[in-house]
Amino acid sequence: MVRPIDLAADIGEILVTEEALQARIRELGSQVSADYAGRPLTLVSVLKGALPFMADLMRRITVPVRIDLMEVSSYGGTSTESSGLVRILKDLSATIEGEDVLIVEDIIDTGLTLNYLLRYLRGKNPRSLRICTLLDKPARRLVDISVDYVGFTIPDQFVVGYGLDYGEYYRNLSFVGVLRPEVYTDAG
Amino acid sequence: MARILDFYQVRWEYEPHTFPILWNLDGAVVESFSPDFWLPDLDLYLEMTTLRQKLVRKKNRKLRRVLELYPDLRVKLFYARDFRALMLKYGKFALYGELSGTSGQVVPGRDAETTAAGPDADEAER
Repeated sequence: MVRPIDLAADIGEILVTEEALQARIRELGSQVSADYAGRPLTLVSVLKGALPFMADLMRRITVPVRIDLMEVSSYGGTSTESSGLVRILKDLSATIEGEDVLIVEDIIDTGLTLNYLLRYLRGKNPRSLRICTLLDKPARRLVDISVDYVGFTIPDQFVVGYGLDYGEYYRNLSFVGVLRPEVYTDAG
Repeated sequence: MARILDFYQVRWEYEPHTFPILWNLDGAVVESFSPDFWLPDLDLYLEMTTLRQKLVRKKNRKLRRVLELYPDLRVKLFYARDFRALMLKYGKFALYGELSGTSGQVVPGRDAETTAAGPDADEAER
């Protein structure tokens, strides 16, 4: 039997409140604006989890901003089983050659996806390439990646909300919460 | 793990290097450590431990010894809970079942005991 989703009851703990998220995003926006003062910036967001963060962050940045979206297949995704290799499902809409680019991520854990993305984007010869992540989970890191802007460093827990999903749900929560373990153990 | 590394196009070699960690009085190697994976581009070794608690302890001891003797070595120990986290992240429940159901590996319902060797072993993971 499929377990019904209960957005409120399935969250065991609120890890980052909506207020804390917005306050930190304001700070990140100020920091990015100062670092790129006088230079236009291209924000590249990675679908789907980074969408809310991108939407809020871009409105806190005061330098001219262009945005672009990418989607990268994830291991285990049904659409990628045939090739067995990570693929770009949605590529950039415009060139980034000679541009200052900031990758906007929702969470970095193993770093495998971001490592792939960095290699891919470097090949497009941007003027600079930096990384901004809302959440960093260093306990899971396999690939050492230098992250330029970090919203929150979080413990090794399964989190959802504010773009982050479990089975494509919970993205619309306005906070970041820890999913009750029984939600995913019952699903197996 | 090999499938995941292949998917993300991370080059790997399986057990290419062996590190002696114990010698007898004659100087012969009596114990050594061969990490499972070598990721040359990342200068990183991965050692997988989806095994019983007793074997996890033994592996932890070996790893401590290796790092004493070879402090520049970069080794990441992958516990059963790390596998669970990856399977959860990628929605691979069937593969999780395969990993945890094999004799001598993590037994469902006993994960907390089996994975207690690592820090935060009783936590859920992304």
